[in-house]
Amino acid sequence: MTDESDAGRTDPTDGETVVRATEHVRDELVRFARALRRAGASVPANAATTAARGLVVVGFADEDRARAATRAALVTDPRDVDEFERLFPEFWRRLTAGLGETGPAERWDDPPEGALAPLGGEPADGEEPEATDETETASEPDDDPEGSVAWRSSSLAAHLDERGDDEPLAVARYSPTGSPAPVETLPGFAGHDVLGSAVDELTAALATLRGRAWDTAGDRRTDARRALRASVGTGGTVVSLPTRDRKQSEVRATWLVDVSRSVLDTLDRGFLLDVLGRSRAAWRDCRVFFFDEGVREVTSAFEDGTAEGAAEALADAEAEWGGGTRIGGSLAELRTRTPDAVDNRTVVFVVSDGLEMGDLSALERELAWLSSRAVAVVWCNPLAAAPGFEPTAGGMAAALPFVAGPFAFAGPDDVTELARQLRAQGPGGRVGYEYDPRRKDA
Amino acid sequence: MSETDGFDDVTEAEIRAAFDEQSYVADDDIVTTVLLALRLGRPLLIEGEPGAGKTELAKVLAGGFDAELVRLQCYEGLAAENTLYEWNYTKQLLAVQAGEGGVDGDGTGSGEGPEESVFSEAYLLERPLLQALRGEGRRVLLVDEVDRADEAFEALLLEVLSDFQVSVPELGTIAAGTPPVVVVTSNRTRPLSDALKRRCLYLHVSPPSFEKEREILSRKVPELHDAVAAELCGIVGRLREEPLRKPPGAAETIDWARAVATLRGNGGPDSLTREEVRRTLGTVLKEVEDVERVDDELLDSLVEAARAAREAAGS
Repeated sequence: MTDESDAGRTDPTDGETVVRATEHVRDELVRFARALRRAGASVPANAATTAARGLVVVGFADEDRARAATRAALVTDPRDVDEFERLFPEFWRRLTAGLGETGPAERWDDPPEGALAPLGGEPADGEEPEATDETETASEPDDDPEGSVAWRSSSLAAHLDERGDDEPLAVARYSPTGSPAPVETLPGFAGHDVLGSAVDELTAALATLRGRAWDTAGDRRTDARRALRASVGTGGTVVSLPTRDRKQSEVRATWLVDVSRSVLDTLDRGFLLDVLGRSRAAWRDCRVFFFDEGVREVTSAFEDGTAEGAAEALADAEAEWGGGTRIGGSLAELRTRTPDAVDNRTVVFVVSDGLEMGDLSALERELAWLSSRAVAVVWCNPLAAAPGFEPTAGGMAAALPFVAGPFAFAGPDDVTELARQLRAQGPGGRVGYEYDPRRKDA
Repeated sequence: MSETDGFDDVTEAEIRAAFDEQSYVADDDIVTTVLLALRLGRPLLIEGEPGAGKTELAKVLAGGFDAELVRLQCYEGLAAENTLYEWNYTKQLLAVQAGEGGVDGDGTGSGEGPEESVFSEAYLLERPLLQALRGEGRRVLLVDEVDRADEAFEALLLEVLSDFQVSVPELGTIAAGTPPVVVVTSNRTRPLSDALKRRCLYLHVSPPSFEKEREILSRKVPELHDAVAAELCGIVGRLREEPLRKPPGAAETIDWARAVATLRGNGGPDSLTREEVRRTLGTVLKEVEDVERVDDELLDSLVEAARAAREAAGS
């Protein structure tokens, strides 16, 4: 913390000193804001101006006050606080050094260091160089040569072609008691029309957003026409004001699809991609993430309305991961990297068998966050289509208190049943595989 | 500063006094940020977990400075007419039928002419945002839980927060004489627009630390034994480590402390019993899954946390 005399170091009668001090503060604030942005923080465009006004109000005598003032202006997301705290000491050192006894220091006699260094600047002695293209490249997936992508694509196509729609799905090993046993043969993917109807029903069941059509049961706008019509029957007197509102007919959803080997070996991939593609096309906002060891958004793969890009994305995910699943870790990654994928009007679908290879307490923690943030978390488990299914897998058991389901998810009929239950009971009602009438009939 | 003034020249000491008067425990950074919001005339966006004291801060500001609190509780479907103004349709229709008003009058609202316009002040129903803009003296406008409202409402709010004025087509532009202090709260259930954030100063309120929560209880529930208060804070801190659907906030801790104090009356041991914890946990846990999570093992852990907190507090 600086002493009280700091605020008065510049002589207010010395116009030139005041101007230089002003420029110095402005420069340092702009540099600080840029450094924060470079570090990934969300800093508003006018934040430096607001911070400058804040510093004028609280003065330069107290570091804690100045920290609070600049933080209120520069930080707009609690996840950026750590970065702010990391960079603030250097900002403060440079700011107060420049407001010394003789006024602000000459510019560039104290070149900024570390994260406050200008882009492209030489790193200080002993300092790690700033993230460059090399490091960024290292964190990104390698650009596949064209031949590689084509191979993966053809690999998946070959897989789908070989199996054929009528061929029963290859069995995977699953047992509610934990001992290896083959899963009962699941029904093959039947017809696209059935799936289309099922997605429509799901839309009606989960609509959380207002569409364009009007509904007379709302309370949003006065329905003048109905009011006037009703007034005819009462001699022109309006007894009550009928209202209308937009119907909730649109869905915002996020699909989180487990692409681990245990799921992909059980689930009909054509069916999965078809559901995702139709959801993406039919719903107002629909984002798709694949997860396994990590999480990756693949929404753009469903943009063009064809299955090719989606199949390629799935093949890529399988080639890159295809191992054990860390659902909790993946959800944590989603929370920190793309929290805007889930809000209080988003329905989250998790497609997973619940075979968690990571920490169960982490899974619980992340699902608690997810369920409190989303309008509903619907768990679609391909294994739940088996008549003998019980949710005894560790991850599935841990997830139950936080989700609706698990629901069977192996074919269009399962989507129809999912929609029926959600429409009748809502996501918070008594829904799930155990209420599926087909299970009792089996 | 006179009573009719705004908050332009308020001091940090006055803010602290207002907080103390209302028994609101605030860290220094909160005081500084509130000072900036008042002095710079910028809306204050407060985010944090439910129960962290966001809404309370606005109430305390209003109470401490004798300001009028205008509260707008946001919800899904909130529209302009719910927040700005509406026309009193019934009154307008009756006026037209009685020949006391017309749709083409001069709009003065004087009531002298036979054809006073039904689109005048006399038929205007003010809603919270307009009330806050047109009010006299100090006002605090609380836009509570803005993340519950649609994005469209956020856009409407931008207009008001930018210029502190609204346009009523039939009456013209209505601007605030003295802009109100605006406090916008959000539980972060959805991301807010950059445009809104750009107009606001930002404050993130974290769950209170053990020491701060103890101080809150000592002020809000002074009738509770200090050692018991420390134990309650220890248990709440332990509960926040669990993956609960709704982790308890400071508000729940206060509720629990009041419940325990009420059940004990003037007596009771100076330490919480295991049974006492079990019976009263419903005041802090608000979801059935969270209540069911507290089995014997976790209950033992909570009691242990209480003992540890008591020892740490030196009670």
